[in-house]
Amino acid sequence: MIEEKFREIFELWGYREVRTSTVEYFDIIKLGAGEPFVDSIFKFQDYDGKLISIRGEITTQIARMMATRLYNENRVYYIENCIRFVSPRDVGQREFWQAGAELFGRGGAEEDGEIICLALECLEKLGLKANVDIGSISIFRKIANYFKIEELDALRRAISSKSLFAIREIVRNESAMEVLKYIIENRGSIEIVKKLVDMGIAEIMEDLKYFEGLFEVIRAYGYEDRIVVDLSTLREMKYYNGIVFEIFLEGIGIPIGGGGRYDEMMKEFGLSLGATGFAVNIDLIMKAIKYSTMKKEGPVRIYYKEGFLEKAVRMAKELRSKGIKCIIAPHRGENNGIILGERDEGTNISNTK
Amino acid sequence: MELFWVKEMKGLILAIPNKGRLRKPIMEILESIGIMAMDDERVYLSNTTMENLQLLSVRAVDIPTYIYYGIADMGITGKDIIEECGFELYELADMKFGSCNLVLAVREDSPYSIPMDLPQGVKVATEFPNITRRFFNSLGIQAEIIILRGAVEIAPILGLSDCIVDLSSTGETLRKNGLRSIATIMKSSARLICNKISYKTKYNEVKRIEELLVRACENINL
Repeated sequence: MIEEKFREIFELWGYREVRTSTVEYFDIIKLGAGEPFVDSIFKFQDYDGKLISIRGEITTQIARMMATRLYNENRVYYIENCIRFVSPRDVGQREFWQAGAELFGRGGAEEDGEIICLALECLEKLGLKANVDIGSISIFRKIANYFKIEELDALRRAISSKSLFAIREIVRNESAMEVLKYIIENRGSIEIVKKLVDMGIAEIMEDLKYFEGLFEVIRAYGYEDRIVVDLSTLREMKYYNGIVFEIFLEGIGIPIGGGGRYDEMMKEFGLSLGATGFAVNIDLIMKAIKYSTMKKEGPVRIYYKEGFLEKAVRMAKELRSKGIKCIIAPHRGENNGIILGERDEGTNISNTK
Repeated sequence: MELFWVKEMKGLILAIPNKGRLRKPIMEILESIGIMAMDDERVYLSNTTMENLQLLSVRAVDIPTYIYYGIADMGITGKDIIEECGFELYELADMKFGSCNLVLAVREDSPYSIPMDLPQGVKVATEFPNITRRFFNSLGIQAEIIILRGAVEIAPILGLSDCIVDLSSTGETLRKNGLRSIATIMKSSARLICNKISYKTKYNEVKRIEELLVRACENINL
């Protein structure tokens, strides 16, 4: 059912389904996805000794298909399974299902905007209110370049773990430190990018224009309140070169998906073509749907502190008269419902239900 | 309806070690800001004196796992443990206490004085196989790693391994077991870590706890 929903929306947005092969030459995946990702995929040998891998992600395969089979398509989607190694401390499974879409074109902000809004739209139609954090590999590289920081991998890890301490181990320059501190400590909208330009990194002017274009699209779709610029969002895959984003849901501890712009990988495959896309993990989405229906179906819990019994009962009566199930109990430290207490303790009921 | 002032609680779970060297200072810090577990010490998930905050007491090595999957929102554990597990987490603050070094140590009477002296195929006993593998890979030395669960210092003298990678704060245990350190692989101390999604969805709560803990850490003399 979830797959059907994805298929329906992808088709409505003019995307065409593609199927990629289950196995792929290891070198191709390595060329596209790079280390350390390739360490996590299953590999075996072909009859002539060449290394073959089982597909562990789809984007690289699609990029290769674009390059070798000259598709006339510029909007494609897939719903496929992937297989990866799982270490004993991982909760995930070796096999998981992904749904995703890729958009090839000129490389404009409107394309990234479409991809992000498409992802949100699919989830919306499944009843999930997802949020997106946007970062930028382009801005990251410009900052590193501006301050002549060479240890890019270490810096990327330090920024994406928001660790001031780790950044300090790499960066000596005080003004660089100020910029990076700003990046890891602030979440917001375009003003985050604007501020970096104000801090003197003129090269980012270009990205600012780009972000303005991106938000224009996002506003047009009405998703601006779901999207936050957090420049510490830097995805690991080496193929990204423009914006990158992560999709997440309250109640699920790890991102359910993400994506970004990867024109540079197309270049690796010999195409000068803009490319952007996203993928989400269907298994996590199933979990999220279960979680949200669980929350919906259960009765509303009303806990009252001393002296608030009467109000609790009045509230329950009102809810029940509207057909909403509810339970009343004295408050003993629970945190999974409505707590009736002193006025200064909270917000109005209308916000909670 | 507008008569009622209510709150939908968005509780936070803070994971702390249930034993080990970090436990005591963490309890002191929490106590100094008035956070105490309301349940018996053996209740691993306990309500606290602070509303909306629960304490999860688990093994220090498991804390990153609980946080990565979002079971706990925040936690305090050693940098060595965070590095070893390699999960993507936010590392919000260096709490400064519990500092120690992760060192490479060899037998007192061995001829090795720097890591590069060690031979190919060297046997290394450690509780930190991932960090150790990364370290030897960076040197270009193929190492055979023997995973132990503690008291690693005894391995070289008994002939189980040629060297060890282990934590050392004063060097006392190394000396007593006839070892000497030839390199510091990393410096560790207690860190405040956070689940990436919790940071985004419970930003204000996370920041409030972070501020409280960091300030308490500065004010208390550990």
